Amino acid sequence: MEEVLRVEGLGKSFKKTRVVKDINFKVHKGEIMAVLGPNGAGKSTTIRSIMGIMMPDEGTVVFDNQVEGKVPKQKIGYLPEERGLYKNVKVMDILLYFAELKDYPLDQAKERALTYLKKFGLEGKDDVKVDELSKGMGQKVQFIGSIIHEPELLILDEPFSGLDPVSQETFKQEIKDLANNGTAILLSSHQMNLVEEMCDRLFMIHRGKKVIYGSMDEVKEQYANFKCTIHGNNDLGDLERIDQVERVEQNDDISILYLKSDVKASEWIKKLPDHLDIQELSLDRISLHEIFIDIATDRNLAQEAGVIDEK
Amino acid sequence: MKNSWKVAKWEIKRNLKSKSFLISLFLTPILIAIFATVPSLLSDWSDDEDTQQPQTTVYINDELGVWNELEPLTDEDGLNWDVELTEETEDEMTSTLEDESRSVFIHLNETSLQNGMIDYYASENVPQDFTYEIQMLEQPLRYMLLQETGLDESEIQTAMTPIVFNQNDVINEAEAEAEAAQGAEQFLSKFVPGIFAGIVLFSIVITGMMVFQSASEEKKEKVAEIILSSVSAEELMQGKIIGYFVLGILQVTVWIGMAAPVILWLVDFPIIEYLFVPELALLLLIAVLGYLMFAAIFVGLGATLEDASSGSNFQGFIFILPWLPFIFIAPIISNPEGVFAQALSYIPFTSPGIMILRLSILDEWPWIEIIISLAILIVSIWLLMKLAGKIFKVGILIYGKNATLPEIWKWLWS
Repeated sequence: MEEVLRVEGLGKSFKKTRVVKDINFKVHKGEIMAVLGPNGAGKSTTIRSIMGIMMPDEGTVVFDNQVEGKVPKQKIGYLPEERGLYKNVKVMDILLYFAELKDYPLDQAKERALTYLKKFGLEGKDDVKVDELSKGMGQKVQFIGSIIHEPELLILDEPFSGLDPVSQETFKQEIKDLANNGTAILLSSHQMNLVEEMCDRLFMIHRGKKVIYGSMDEVKEQYANFKCTIHGNNDLGDLERIDQVERVEQNDDISILYLKSDVKASEWIKKLPDHLDIQELSLDRISLHEIFIDIATDRNLAQEAGVIDEK
Repeated sequence: MKNSWKVAKWEIKRNLKSKSFLISLFLTPILIAIFATVPSLLSDWSDDEDTQQPQTTVYINDELGVWNELEPLTDEDGLNWDVELTEETEDEMTSTLEDESRSVFIHLNETSLQNGMIDYYASENVPQDFTYEIQMLEQPLRYMLLQETGLDESEIQTAMTPIVFNQNDVINEAEAEAEAAQGAEQFLSKFVPGIFAGIVLFSIVITGMMVFQSASEEKKEKVAEIILSSVSAEELMQGKIIGYFVLGILQVTVWIGMAAPVILWLVDFPIIEYLFVPELALLLLIAVLGYLMFAAIFVGLGATLEDASSGSNFQGFIFILPWLPFIFIAPIISNPEGVFAQALSYIPFTSPGIMILRLSILDEWPWIEIIISLAILIVSIWLLMKLAGKIFKVGILIYGKNATLPEIWKWLWS
């Protein structure tokens, strides 16, 4: 796959605090790459460094295999985490301004703007002032603003934050369509369910450092083991002694048993000791969401499982 | 630079489409005209009122029996007196006056006439002019006094004619006239461009303050980062400065366009002729430099504040900077070549306003001072632009709070 963006050894400090360190990843044409991590992990700093809005202290950012450090701003679409629109202007005016800043032909931009407004259910809003839009409508306009110039690389920092489920779905579908049409997409998010559904690869970052990097399939294979949740009053030691249990988390009457990756669910259930107090039992896979929570709360699920290296 | 123009164009277009800008654009000259004319109209009106002021009641105890002779005089001089003759004494009259307003009691008796000191008693609200009005009585009384001494008419006339020293200037009349005309012309030829440059400076500094709002809005509405994905922070800042400069010029053009017909109609000297003199170029240059300096300050300040009303005292103080020269107008006009005036010409924050004012009233331009002042101004602008750029770059991306002074200080050195 054609490489659109390559980040190598990126590092950035604010005063004496190291915010990101040794960040390496690539984004290819037509793929959706997710940068994940808890708040303050360094996602926005990484993205701002890529955009040249912040100067990284170390490392290189290369676009399209061109000269490093030169950001082809016309080819990139960017939706920052902290985003807004000028209030007292018309929707079409601001979209055309964004297009003009990217040197995109205005007649084409106007056409695209109308198409997208219609697509997002904002038909006829082009002549309305921004402050008359609802929050959700405003976010759709911002999104249109970031893709109005047909970018080759689209960088979305928390595109789903503050969206209602319907809009989330609209955005998700649109992002997928853009990727299918060849746009390289780098998105950061902490909506794990959405990321899980749409991303091709992911890069998880915690405290400014890489924790997981790999394709969604690889990550799932590696991390998405079974876990068994038991409601009932049981002794921790008893649970830990059960075959193929990697570790146990116990909180009052709820115990979560993390199982090894090669477990066969039906066989394992049969091996459960008779004396266990089972009020409720569920067996399911660890989701990306849980991996994320684990990392964010400094538990050691991911570290225990090891880190997938880039292939 | 191309990107700066795009930003500038946007700021211009956006403001021209905004109602508040258009309202202030056309309303300001009208408001100025109202403020300029209404007070004088009001005072004219109250002058009319004055002519119908109530009379001053004057009680006279005329022991000398001279009032009959004095009365015609008061009529001749148009004194607004309502004279009532009375027999009452000072003591009795003071109690009457206590209850009255605008009343005076005069006691004309032999003793006071001989002493040359006539006491009169005034109630509340007696107009100040009464002091002068009553002096009208002096001459006739003196006349009577002299008559009593037995002098004849011609002796009395001689005694009463004061000796006055009268100064006569000896000058060549033709020269004096030419000088007066030249003086007026020279005054106007400096003053008209000075006023013009002052208006230009005033107008573009006001739009300079809009640069602040614009930068602050960028931060408040969180648009900055989207814009910065297309242009650099420097280009965004420059674009704003250029955009509001154009708006300022546009504003001043509209104002002058609205005022010019009125002024040309009211004033009968050739204003246009006095306006377009070579001096105007320098004055306008100073005005433009003044704008650039304040625009740099305000764009930097805007990037540190989301809400102008919640800034610190320090930030509030910066807003006063452009108006400092107004405080010094009086001392500068009274001594435009003084040390104070010179010192203010070398302080970048005051120098544009002060220089325009001084150059408008000075006969001879102090070229060395002008050059030093311009040099200081240009260096300050360069420095302030650099600092504003640094503050803008960091500040514009910090959301949700106003930057503190120590933070700004750190950004400058980062």
